[in-house]
Amino acid sequence: MNPELFLQLDRVIHEKGRLAIMSMLAASPELSFTEMRDALEMTDGNLTTHIRALQQESYVSVTKSYQNKRPLTTCSLTASGRKAFADYVNLLEQIVQQNKSI
Amino acid sequence: MSPNLAEENLQTIRTLMERSALYRRALAPIMLFAGALGIIAAVIGLLLHLDSMRSFGTLWLGTAGIVIIGAFLIARRQAVQDKEPFWSPPTRRVGQALLPPLFAGMFLGLIFAFVGITNPSFITFFWLLFYGCALHSSGFFMPRGMRCFGWIFIGFACVVLCILAFLSPNAGISAHWLMGFFFGVLHLAYGAYLYLTEKKILSRES
Repeated sequence: MNPELFLQLDRVIHEKGRLAIMSMLAASPELSFTEMRDALEMTDGNLTTHIRALQQESYVSVTKSYQNKRPLTTCSLTASGRKAFADYVNLLEQIVQQNKSI
Repeated sequence: MSPNLAEENLQTIRTLMERSALYRRALAPIMLFAGALGIIAAVIGLLLHLDSMRSFGTLWLGTAGIVIIGAFLIARRQAVQDKEPFWSPPTRRVGQALLPPLFAGMFLGLIFAFVGITNPSFITFFWLLFYGCALHSSGFFMPRGMRCFGWIFIGFACVVLCILAFLSPNAGISAHWLMGFFFGVLHLAYGAYLYLTEKKILSRES
């Protein structure tokens, strides 16, 4: 087995919480902070920390607006985030394929 | 990281993406409920001879209202049972996709029924057409051939229009028969198909 593949996995995405956030955002044009928090059963602080980490890598963009006079925070994947996520999934698939062929 | 963990990660990604993108409430009970009510309404219409535009519109718009409320309650009950949020992003998107054509169809039905612009067979055509469009647009956020089901309704709407146009509006076809077949039998058939295929998938996954 080629250990190189493991080393190529994006460490930022590879963390469980951030991977979950990226997966949800990859399948949706945008999601609100509360929708993600409820779906992933994370605390506000935990989700904020993960989103901030993804924002620092420019994988996620955050938009703040108002809906019915209440603040609304929505997140979406950036183009580089989408590419990084696709690369990550491709690598995982390669690892699985490699394991099957052994 | 072990290869097994890679496979688990892929499965997690797939599940989360589906949860985020697809409406996953089981549709089979909703379809069976809609089909059963459609057949009951058709039988009532035929037995009581509700053939005037107003009585026809009242019967079928009332049935549509009950079906919508029932579908909402069935979906909500499933969400509570599965401990999932009911008004999830996919549910919201399905609702947004269904709303314009359903509203247009029901509004047209109300106007036609209470002003008496046309006859019941023609309103059947409009309802089939709008309902097919509603199913098709909601199918972008649902698995399992919902868009095909929408196309079936649109196709049948065209057939009904051709029959009406070439055989005259009063060709002896009762609109209750048409409504009973399309909104009753078709829903029952699709519900039965979904019920059987969902059961198979569940037994494969467990």
